[in-house]
Amino acid sequence: MDTSSTPATEPTAANAGQEERVWRAGKLEPMPIRTLPDAPPSVHILGPTVFLVALGVGMGESYMWPRLVLLFGPEIRWLFLVGVTLQAVVMLEMARYAMATGESIFFGAARVFKPLMWFFFVVAIAVYIWPGHLSAGAAALEEITGIPWTVTAVSGLILVGVVFSLAKVIYSLLETLLSILIGALVIGTAIVAAMVGTWDDVVSTVAGMFAIGYIPDGAMTAAWFPVIVGSIAFAGPSGMQQMWYTLHLRDSGAGMGAHIPQIRGLRHAGEEEAMPARGFMFDTDNPEEMKKWRGWRRWVTFDALLLFWGITMLVTISFTVIAQAAARQTPGVREIIASGEREAALSAMADSFASAGSSVLGVIFLGFISLIGLNATLGLFDSFSRGQADMTYHFVKGAKKWRMSHLYAAFLWGVIAFGIGILLFGPADGPSGILDTLAFLSTFAMGAYCVTLLLVNNRMLPKPIRPKWWTNLIIGFGAVFYLGMLLYSLFAYGVVVG
Amino acid sequence: MAPDGHSIRQAGELALPGVAIGAVGGAMAGGLTLLSGQPAGWAAVAALTLALPLALLGGLYSSLMGLPGPFRPGLFAPAGLFWLIGFPLARLTQQVSTGLILDGRVLLAGGVAGFLAYQALVSLGFAIGFVWLHERLMPHWLVQLAPRNAVARTVLQRYIEHAEALSRGRRAHGKGQTKGVR
Repeated sequence: MDTSSTPATEPTAANAGQEERVWRAGKLEPMPIRTLPDAPPSVHILGPTVFLVALGVGMGESYMWPRLVLLFGPEIRWLFLVGVTLQAVVMLEMARYAMATGESIFFGAARVFKPLMWFFFVVAIAVYIWPGHLSAGAAALEEITGIPWTVTAVSGLILVGVVFSLAKVIYSLLETLLSILIGALVIGTAIVAAMVGTWDDVVSTVAGMFAIGYIPDGAMTAAWFPVIVGSIAFAGPSGMQQMWYTLHLRDSGAGMGAHIPQIRGLRHAGEEEAMPARGFMFDTDNPEEMKKWRGWRRWVTFDALLLFWGITMLVTISFTVIAQAAARQTPGVREIIASGEREAALSAMADSFASAGSSVLGVIFLGFISLIGLNATLGLFDSFSRGQADMTYHFVKGAKKWRMSHLYAAFLWGVIAFGIGILLFGPADGPSGILDTLAFLSTFAMGAYCVTLLLVNNRMLPKPIRPKWWTNLIIGFGAVFYLGMLLYSLFAYGVVVG
Repeated sequence: MAPDGHSIRQAGELALPGVAIGAVGGAMAGGLTLLSGQPAGWAAVAALTLALPLALLGGLYSSLMGLPGPFRPGLFAPAGLFWLIGFPLARLTQQVSTGLILDGRVLLAGGVAGFLAYQALVSLGFAIGFVWLHERLMPHWLVQLAPRNAVARTVLQRYIEHAEALSRGRRAHGKGQTKGVR
């Protein structure tokens, strides 16, 4: 295996004499050398990051971190800063492989060691078939409308399936839908925060982010440590969401993803172009190509810093300010939030605003929780199906008989059917139970993908585009951070799930 | 060259997307007040006093895109600065109006300076959401206006150039070269 030099200019056995240049990475089919497209302007507004923001700005930002701030003070937020910053670097490294090859990180993992990819295939099923995010949003909607949450949740699941099955090109539809939802969410959050918060709230929230090293006494207990671990995992995109981001990058045509056709909805599956059996590589010996590559890196860095890091921070700070305002207006709210009953806490925060004369804000607050639930569900179900279809298509024998769109639809409707079954007949654990389990399991997947990233980017890419040593150090820290906390929680407190 | 009266009028026609986003943003409060069972009068006051200034400012932002200046497709900084001033003013209008109409007195947390400083901080979030939606809605409105409005055609052209710059790679190197490499 030649992975230490720039792209091999040797002809492959099959193409002897045709001077087909390839890049050999791992034991899978070599990647043909193709031209890297020109990078778009680095300063932009809409892009594939919309998925990460939609997925990332979820329960962690709107509920888990505000709760920890009320319990342990704003200083606990330094852990959030560490979590989100780490995720921004992970995002850049995920993009490195996807933009250089047009392959997903799952494909990259298979190039290193196929069982590694199957590990993620199994973890995705174990973690993401539970309809946790949807049920949380539906519970909030029940508070507003009185419609039982199971009815809303089941209807929502079917709606998601129908919408994605009818879409012509799934990426465009999803991007439009999520953009509008996120736009409404961000505007709404800003208005609510503007109406209930004060300067002091925001100063204490922001200042708390720089209390590096602060660990309150109560945090190092069996009751709270696993919750804090889960909350750090929920800071920004959690679990396998970053891995799915590589599929969105590919589908949006970023970097070498331009050479891969887009996935279509079930109704338009027949129009889908044939999916190549592997990705492509560009000529890293060519200075012109490397110039374009640096353009793509600037483009994705802008995404990571302003759109992803910035919006995630902004929404979390706003929700923390909202929670602080609620606790100030109605002291009882603090105890309810501390008790860990999420629905009761969200409801109490809403009531607190209502009783303080801003009745409207209570309803708006719950409306946003529903919106977050819908956002997360749209993004999660699409991404799950996309990831599983990608792995199945490329690595399950005989799967290429179908188009990628058919496999996507099969996984989508599979997860929807299971979700409906759980909502109707499953363990009546309530949404919170499901969500907390996800939070902790996510940590394991995140530690594992940091290790995968180090292996894939340092062994499967040509030297000139491999990560710098300091990037490797940060990703290595991520692996130790996520897995270390998971194991510490297990051995020190004997608690796996918070 | 400074724009003439006709161009300014035509630029004014671009206002709809900004008016809509501003109005919807402001009216979120009022519309949902009704759902929460509060008197319709309260809801109307809460909605109007925020929706009106936000809609006016939103419309002004859209119109400015049709005039020479820094407001261009895909740029955030001018919008950020615009709302840094505009959003606190809109909130001040709402706070003062609702206070006077419903309570007969005005209460600003942290005094005028503290209130405005906090609102300016939150304005960044509003600006991001506003631009995010504006970039989605504006091109559709421009397509409608373009046949009869020269300014709309110019702005639409800018959007097309911007979109082309973003997708140049895919068009030039995407589908065509994908064929034949399997």
